[in-house]
Amino acid sequence: MYFCLTGSQPFISGTRYIEFMTNSTASSQIARWLHLGSGLIVLISYFLPWVKWQTINVNGYDLAAGNFFQLSETNFKLGNPFPQFTFTFYVFWLIPLLAALTLAFVWQNKKSAFPAFVAGVLALSQITVYYLFTNTLVDLGVGQSALAMMQPAAFIAAIAAIVFILTSLPFNNWLKKFAWIIIGPVIAFASYKMGEKFVMSETFTNTTDIKADYTLNATDLIREFTINDTAANNKYREKIIVVNGKTTQVERLSDSTTTIQFADSTGSYIAFSFEKEQYEQVKEIKTGDQVSLKGSCSGSIYSEILGTTAITFKRATLNKK
Amino acid sequence: MKKTTLVLALIFAAGAVFAQKKTTSSATVTFDATTPKDALPKAENKTVIGSIDTQSGAVAFEAAVKNFAFSNPKIQEHFNAPNWLDSDKFPKFTYTGTIEKANKVKFDKNGTYKVQVNGTITVKGVSKPAKVEGTITVADGKIKVAANFSIKLKDFGVTGQAIEAGKVAEEPSITVSAEF
Repeated sequence: MYFCLTGSQPFISGTRYIEFMTNSTASSQIARWLHLGSGLIVLISYFLPWVKWQTINVNGYDLAAGNFFQLSETNFKLGNPFPQFTFTFYVFWLIPLLAALTLAFVWQNKKSAFPAFVAGVLALSQITVYYLFTNTLVDLGVGQSALAMMQPAAFIAAIAAIVFILTSLPFNNWLKKFAWIIIGPVIAFASYKMGEKFVMSETFTNTTDIKADYTLNATDLIREFTINDTAANNKYREKIIVVNGKTTQVERLSDSTTTIQFADSTGSYIAFSFEKEQYEQVKEIKTGDQVSLKGSCSGSIYSEILGTTAITFKRATLNKK
Repeated sequence: MKKTTLVLALIFAAGAVFAQKKTTSSATVTFDATTPKDALPKAENKTVIGSIDTQSGAVAFEAAVKNFAFSNPKIQEHFNAPNWLDSDKFPKFTYTGTIEKANKVKFDKNGTYKVQVNGTITVKGVSKPAKVEGTITVADGKIKVAANFSIKLKDFGVTGQAIEAGKVAEEPSITVSAEF
């Protein structure tokens, strides 16, 4: 059976397709070659650069291969906000696979509309994702315009994908074919915008509810930073750490916020800042108390003013007194 | 020998009592780049290091860029990203300046003084002159400093479509408050 777009209604049988091809008019022969040509372009263009982020070429296959977000993370610190769904990108390998399969089927005059539709829709969806994500990078100052950063192969792939869908047999059901062309980008656009909205409405999880990546004594942590700050910063920055030690300074400001410090004998120190909402939690802590604090490590700076290393923590909470 | 030790001890003690440079490691700096379109680009850093020299009127501040805490994780990631403030490469903001007519501020007497500080602000490795108006309040031996000013992100090489699209203010407002 030869299935239509929805896969529910057969509209031409394999035998009829061969008859159609055998008795085809010149225009249907042109359409067949257009179908073959566009399929071939969809296949080849998948392995060419679709977008350029500054000097970095990102190929069509990079999303399916897992390189897309890795390149963005490494170069622009913008990673995949939903790493748990990375596996879903493997579906885009169907673009070259189904394009190749369709070509083989058409060449042998076999039914092939469904794989052509899927390959075309996926290609259009992926181009939409590339454009939208590039637009997010433009917001970050990576280039001036997402459209200008899209590469010729992406535009060619988009046109080829549309032609690939339109020239699949039979030459009717135009409405359904247009629906297939539109549905991929629309779903991709809606999913991306929903994901973006979710990401922008997120707030940090309360530090209390996060499992610590490291638990250390204050003096050991200060030592690591003073011996090799580059290595320590790479290791601890943006990690949740529990720091145990004897407080050397507890400062309560007039706005009810509190800063608690652990310092070593050289004056280098770790500072945790607590919000006014945590006043009750930390109000009894005094200088010299043994405490356990937890927070997100912001790394260290060398203070020219104090002549010491300052390691700071944000979103701090009392682990235990 | 004992006399010499005593004299030295007295000199050090006197130095400590009349120390002119006061420091803090818990000053607060807020960064507010919110716009009518986006209320998210706003952060606070409460572990800023500061100093004030009550004799010469010299002031200095150092803020770890990564310790600006935002409510939204993605905005915080954007703030620190290489094309924005590139905090891996430029880990701190600094401001150094001198209070104009510092001798008019009586640091040993309770009072409130409007001051102007002429100095230099360094953001993302770019230094620009910055005149900042602030208030110094002396109360019971404590010196409180407060200032509010704005910076042009463009001046420090921070650009992006988000600014042009009005999602991030072109000139974020910076407030500083410190107790010495």
